[in-house]
Amino acid sequence: MHRRIVVTGVGLVTPLGVGKDAFMRQLLDGVSGIQPITLFDTARFDAKLGAQVHGFTPQDFIRPGTLRRMDRLSKLATAAARMAVDDAGFQIGPHNRDRVGIVLGTCFGATDVASQFGKVLFTDSPRRANPILVPNTVMNAPAGHAAIELGVRGVNSTVNHREVSAEAALAFAAAEIARGRADLVLTGGGDIISEFCFNVLTRFRTLSPQDGGAEGIRPFDARRNGTVVGEGAGIVCLESLDSAEARGAIPYCEIVGWGLSAAPAGLNDWPADPSGPSLAMTRALAAAAVEPGGIDYVCAAANGGLRPDQLEAEALAGVFADSGRRPLVGSLKGALGEGFSSGGIRAAAMAISLRNQALPPTLGLFQPLAPLNFIVRAESRVSIRYGLVNGMSSGGTFAAVVMKRIE
Amino acid sequence: MEQNRVVITGLGTVNSIARSAPEFFRALQAGRCGIGPVTVFDTSDHRTHTGGEVARFAAREMIPRRFSLKRMSRADGMAMAAAIEALSDADLFEVPDRLRSEMGVVIGGGAGGMLECEAVYRDYLLGVGRGSAYSRFASFCCASSADRIASRLGLMGPKTTFMTACSSGAMAIGYARDLIQMNMAPVVVCGGTEPLCRLTYAAFNALQAVDPEHCKPFDKNRQGLSLGEGAGVLILEALSHARQRGARIYGEVLGYGVSCDAHHMTAPDPEGGGAALAMRRALDDAGVSPEAVDYINAHGTATPANDSMETRGIKAVFGRRAYRIPVSSTKSMIGHTLGAAGAIEGVASVLAIQHRFIPPTIHHRTPDPQCDLDFVTEGARPADLNIVLSNSFAFGGNNTAVVFGKFTDSGGPHA
Repeated sequence: MHRRIVVTGVGLVTPLGVGKDAFMRQLLDGVSGIQPITLFDTARFDAKLGAQVHGFTPQDFIRPGTLRRMDRLSKLATAAARMAVDDAGFQIGPHNRDRVGIVLGTCFGATDVASQFGKVLFTDSPRRANPILVPNTVMNAPAGHAAIELGVRGVNSTVNHREVSAEAALAFAAAEIARGRADLVLTGGGDIISEFCFNVLTRFRTLSPQDGGAEGIRPFDARRNGTVVGEGAGIVCLESLDSAEARGAIPYCEIVGWGLSAAPAGLNDWPADPSGPSLAMTRALAAAAVEPGGIDYVCAAANGGLRPDQLEAEALAGVFADSGRRPLVGSLKGALGEGFSSGGIRAAAMAISLRNQALPPTLGLFQPLAPLNFIVRAESRVSIRYGLVNGMSSGGTFAAVVMKRIE
Repeated sequence: MEQNRVVITGLGTVNSIARSAPEFFRALQAGRCGIGPVTVFDTSDHRTHTGGEVARFAAREMIPRRFSLKRMSRADGMAMAAAIEALSDADLFEVPDRLRSEMGVVIGGGAGGMLECEAVYRDYLLGVGRGSAYSRFASFCCASSADRIASRLGLMGPKTTFMTACSSGAMAIGYARDLIQMNMAPVVVCGGTEPLCRLTYAAFNALQAVDPEHCKPFDKNRQGLSLGEGAGVLILEALSHARQRGARIYGEVLGYGVSCDAHHMTAPDPEGGGAALAMRRALDDAGVSPEAVDYINAHGTATPANDSMETRGIKAVFGRRAYRIPVSSTKSMIGHTLGAAGAIEGVASVLAIQHRFIPPTIHHRTPDPQCDLDFVTEGARPADLNIVLSNSFAFGGNNTAVVFGKFTDSGGPHA
């Protein structure tokens, strides 16, 4: 009854470039996407840095008719979805469009549009609120726009669960294929940096520098002092193995299992112990029927935050303690910043790594907070069979996805 | 297959006509209208002034003392109240230790903590705010409802929040069933929650989609929807688990289906193609033939476009039999509760099966040739219901349909 799931395409609009080639080259070269924010004036904030998307031309990917109705987030997500379908070499037509779906994760949605809409409401009058803005204030607008652009009528959904939105979306998308309800689902996530969001985040003291030290993102580093925001969209094309084989597609990798968990935490806070992330990983391993020692590489969620990085390191140490062979552990957020729904970009990077057998470095990591097998420099001569993508969110929600090289 | 059956063992709701599921049953049967003046914020600058408000909602009255209400948004408070009712109803409020590590939470969201945060944003724009008020943003994300429920009860199973606008609650029910069928959780708390707030109110008014009086689903003179608020929560449980602990079973979630119009961001496909696809998928998933459906709890928002589209979609799926299936919109009583709608309508569908009645469509005066089905306009109707189909359609062309069934030991025959 459960069908096998493979990744047959990836689409990326990221601070490290648009498209998988530019993205992966920069990622492996150790280029950082973090720069002073130029989207708005940061003078009044303590934090100044962010990983913005540059050099993105939406017209290259989206037809003018749909494009003019879209907000920025929808453009990022729709372009990434188009790239993923094209990368998969999948032709969408009347015969298969009901079996192609889109499931996206977003943490904040189009806060640029929502705040613009609200501004008229509160500084002028609700009667002058602009109806043109309304559709894009809704969190599921990117998935709706992408479906219109691609003309697909299969499952369409949006997961909105803080920083684990994209991983949770991927879990739902994978289930749709495993259960035979769709042949191909574009999944992942996207978020944007907006002034509104940045303003709120700076009030919550999660952004670097929290200690008055140098601003920067240092995942798993003993001297980390908070995260740096990022943005972008990453989409993977999940397809049933049957569908991929029938059309002769060569997959990047297989999705062999995933695990979801929760752990009690204060609102916007982290649990006291690592049982939540540990459970997600052990559930994913059990679903994939892989022993902890079989995992070669973990793409961690660590974002330079004080509590989450400690929690994830403890969980990794616990889950892989008795495995004899400990996986390589890295975080892409040193280069990409905390993109909130970064799970799509990270799953795409994992898919490429499993195909190319090359692993990106963890930028910003100099003094590891724990004796794990961290990847500090890019590794181009590795043998990676099983990779695990970790997702963690404040409020105590966790996800882990196990992906396997095609042999 | 016995092992794959998912049953409903608890119900909870807060909405404009009820503070509990039993009260909701009585109000639905009486055809009460909860649409009246909105007081939760000042509507004097808005085009319209009515809605399905949960009047004088006080979370403290519905949530035990040992649960902190600190920074709790209206949306979270209603979700928490409905969850506590549903869990108590299922005799699971004191979650057994073994179950605690596996029990999941799936919530459909809408505006989340917007009501509280938009006030902070307004103060910020007008330069009158205090920095400390930013703590309200802790509840901004829709996810905070699921986070609060899981954390307060110590649950460690899967947790996810859907935000597909008006179909969020239905998505949550469907995915909760998936999680149980995939052995990822034996019990899942699922549902949806939605607060009235200025942003949503202004948005639907800007689209001129709101009836200034009260909504009139399927009526020729319908002018739009009425916004509502509330929460609905259902406890979904693997049948084997429910049997083992001797739980009371209200009904069964037989299946669900999701589709997308891929047509327009706010206007539905006028032919109802996407809606029909979702209904067909739900029936297929449930293994139920269209012949077996006894009642359709419609999306029925009372916008001119939705109601005629939905009527066409139902005809496309059910053919000539469409005219013999009772179809009603409970939104006629509580308004459109957006992210909570699919969940509250799920509760209504299960109550209808349990209490053997069909909730009416109220406020219907003038038949519309475009909407010519049996809309149960004369008041609640007694009926023995085996199969109920509940529709939810949303912005972005998201369509979700859920099939509920009367619980029988044998599990059939539904066909």
